Amino acid sequence: MKIMVKVFGRYKDITGKDAIQLDIKDGNTLQDIVNAFVKQYPNVEKDKSRMMVTKNKMFASSDTIVTKKDEITLSPPVVSGG
Amino acid sequence: MGQNRYRRQTLVKELGQKGQKLLASKHIVLIGGGGLGSNSANILVRMGIGSIDIIDYDTIDLTNLHRTSVFSEKDIGRRKASVLKERLQLVNADVQIKAINRKVTSKNIESLVDTSDILIDGTDNIPLRLLLNKIALKHNIPWVYAGVHETVGMVMAIMPKKTACFHCITPNIPVQKTQEIPVLGSLPATIAAIQCNEAMKVLLGKRPAGLIIYDVWNQCFDVLNIKRNSYCPLCGKK
Repeated sequence: MKIMVKVFGRYKDITGKDAIQLDIKDGNTLQDIVNAFVKQYPNVEKDKSRMMVTKNKMFASSDTIVTKKDEITLSPPVVSGG
Repeated sequence: MGQNRYRRQTLVKELGQKGQKLLASKHIVLIGGGGLGSNSANILVRMGIGSIDIIDYDTIDLTNLHRTSVFSEKDIGRRKASVLKERLQLVNADVQIKAINRKVTSKNIESLVDTSDILIDGTDNIPLRLLLNKIALKHNIPWVYAGVHETVGMVMAIMPKKTACFHCITPNIPVQKTQEIPVLGSLPATIAAIQCNEAMKVLLGKRPAGLIIYDVWNQCFDVLNIKRNSYCPLCGKK
């Protein structure tokens, strides 16, 4: 099945879109979403372990199961410089 | 001097005379007087906050000057907090400014922040922000996170038990790197201004935006609405 994933920050520039469509299977998790995103856009690879991922406006653990009804967002990692 | 100083600002209907008086009654603690902190201190003092404690143990060096405000070459080697107090007091004598030349640690943070109406983040690392978040939640003090990296800045006002906390948005804590963080010189001033806007809204009783992400290079300005994470070990309800 296909799921729409909203992207924020420079991910919009990288994808050229506000939202992208990814293929997922029953039982897939947020980590699978991240993996699919990185596979499709390899230049976000360096963010992979720190990417901000929300499900229905909340952060959730990477093993959280996703359904096509869920609102998923991907954002670049929190920045820490001052 | 005080009456005319804010005339143009009090014409802003969202603030008005009432809001200006309210600001003058508020106490801010700002942790970090570098790229973000110097710019935020500059804005907050000019806008007429009642009092501000500026905490930074560090000294000014040449590599700070491209992204800070207020400092000059002749300040190199001097304490950031002391210079900010000295210069900003000349800008607005009505504001009570205190320079605290100390390093913030888990042992002293509570005594440094517990009288604050809001905390302003001018720090440069995640562990200190997590400590700030923990203490802010414990004492029910709102705080405004801000961070910069390369051309990207982020801001989020955190209101204990009302909004997501910093721990909610950093489930994967980045490994602290020792190398210098690259920062475009114009970015901290931009992000500090957004941070101060969010702080003003909190102080005036308006609900802040969510996580604001601004990428100056790619012209992306986004607000990510994030709910409190029920399972957050710090602010969660479960």
